[in-house]
Amino acid sequence: MWKALLYKEWIKTRWYLLLALSVTLGFAGYALLKLHRAVALTGAGHIWEVMVTRNAVFIDQMQYVPLLAGLALAAVQYLPEVHRKCLKLTLHLPVPALATLGVMLAFGVAVLAVLFGLGIVLLAAGARPLLAPELVGNILHAALPWYLAGVAGYLLGAWTILEPTWKRRILCLLMSVLLLRLFFLAPVSRAYGGFLAVLALLSLCAASLSWLSVVRFMAGRQD
Amino acid sequence: MTRFAKLFFWFLVLVLLLWQLPWAVNYLLVQSRNTPFTLYSEVLDDFVMIRHTSDKEVEYRDRAGNEYTRRAFDSLLPLFYARQLTADGRFPDSVAGRPVTLREAQIASFIFRSAPKDLNRPAPGLHFLLESMSGRVDLAMPSDAFRLTDRGIEFIDMATNRIDTAKSGRFTRMLLRKGCRFPVRELSGNPSARKEYDEGYLLLDADGGLFHLKMMQGRPYVRAVDVPGELRLRHLFLTEFRSRRTLAFLTDESHRLHVLTMPGYGIRRVEGVTFDPERESMTIVGTLFNWTVCVDGASAERYYAVSADDFSLLDTLSYPLSERRIPGLSFTSSSDRYVKPRFR
Repeated sequence: MWKALLYKEWIKTRWYLLLALSVTLGFAGYALLKLHRAVALTGAGHIWEVMVTRNAVFIDQMQYVPLLAGLALAAVQYLPEVHRKCLKLTLHLPVPALATLGVMLAFGVAVLAVLFGLGIVLLAAGARPLLAPELVGNILHAALPWYLAGVAGYLLGAWTILEPTWKRRILCLLMSVLLLRLFFLAPVSRAYGGFLAVLALLSLCAASLSWLSVVRFMAGRQD
Repeated sequence: MTRFAKLFFWFLVLVLLLWQLPWAVNYLLVQSRNTPFTLYSEVLDDFVMIRHTSDKEVEYRDRAGNEYTRRAFDSLLPLFYARQLTADGRFPDSVAGRPVTLREAQIASFIFRSAPKDLNRPAPGLHFLLESMSGRVDLAMPSDAFRLTDRGIEFIDMATNRIDTAKSGRFTRMLLRKGCRFPVRELSGNPSARKEYDEGYLLLDADGGLFHLKMMQGRPYVRAVDVPGELRLRHLFLTEFRSRRTLAFLTDESHRLHVLTMPGYGIRRVEGVTFDPERESMTIVGTLFNWTVCVDGASAERYYAVSADDFSLLDTLSYPLSERRIPGLSFTSSSDRYVKPRFR
């Protein structure tokens, strides 16, 4: 049954995942390309100087890409469930509803982890030949909250989409926007320090919110 | 799971309310400070101030409440407004009985600023050591960067991204020979080619020892600075002012301000001035005769007038701050560059 559930999620999202992989890695690759070009044009010294003295990380253009990827995955995975009334059938499968929801969310988080993991590896591998470990670390520390925002965005998006009533959905949306703001407050790289681990934990806890929406759906709440 | 999810939901609601409601109220109600721009006048031997009134006019006053025209006010601060007075043909031959030239006034003038967010921030990890004695008039940024490790100093050639072991060894050996103990606790420098001269860095080593490091003709210059036994230094601010009379401002564990004077590397206390760089901003407007030190504290903006000759305290002035804010949760602060929850 679990395999069938996972296969269902794969069928729903496979083309989107291909697109998300191309876009997220494309943006990371483009940022690296610009960095390499800047080094070729102005010299490594100037780039190092700008990174050290002005906190430049050269990947600003991909700031909201992981968030959009996470939100879009939530939409691709859960909008069909809600609009085609598939959610009712899914929840009536001979497995506990909580486990079914858990598998769907775990699938989403896992594919995002792979997607974003590849992005981080690409950034690190692409920047390391040009930059000292401290500067590569600055780039990755700048990107980590953005990638985490992608995971949080996915889970908060799932919560909002699965919510059966519009009144509550607007509340979910408002709370999600404010919570996602937390991932974009850094004035400089490495600004989150230990708080990033707390944010990661809170993001994973956000998976439980979707269960609240499902419970309300199963209780028959609707507009 | 339902219970956990509900608890988590209400926890998030509480966090968001504690964060957003006080922010919104403070944003709408709290007004900006209107403390006047204040300097110590060597003519009046008292503080004079410029205040913007509520009807957007500018008032020029002294502490006694006497009002001045802008032109008259320039004459109360002849060293601060030296260029304006010279342009008007009003720059005096002497100030407070002491002959003064425009050049003297300009060389001795400086403005120094320190803000908590410059200290409370993630360390960059890499630094640039300029050539201090290249023989050229203009300074140039180096072709390498350095990092400080637990065992020494490492120079990395930026073009090849490789460690220059020969240069690293030379500088580490010199630092060790002069008594520097790694890891270095703090360093201060102004790594920029847009200045008149370069004094490299000041280092505070693992034992609290003070060292001056610079590069002269590619070779390390390291000088161990004698620190009085009872003095425990905390923060360093390399100055590189035009006059070259000071090398740095220093603060100790009790937040007292000191000056590292040149030549001779003498450490002199600035009488009466206390300043916690991690929590307070400080501005020093220096002239040939005196310094006006402004420390922006939590409860008051404190002004100190200090003699530029012997750093003795001439006068003080304080503006109490009565900023009423609704306490709440925030994740960023104007006094640091970290993102973390704080209730204030």
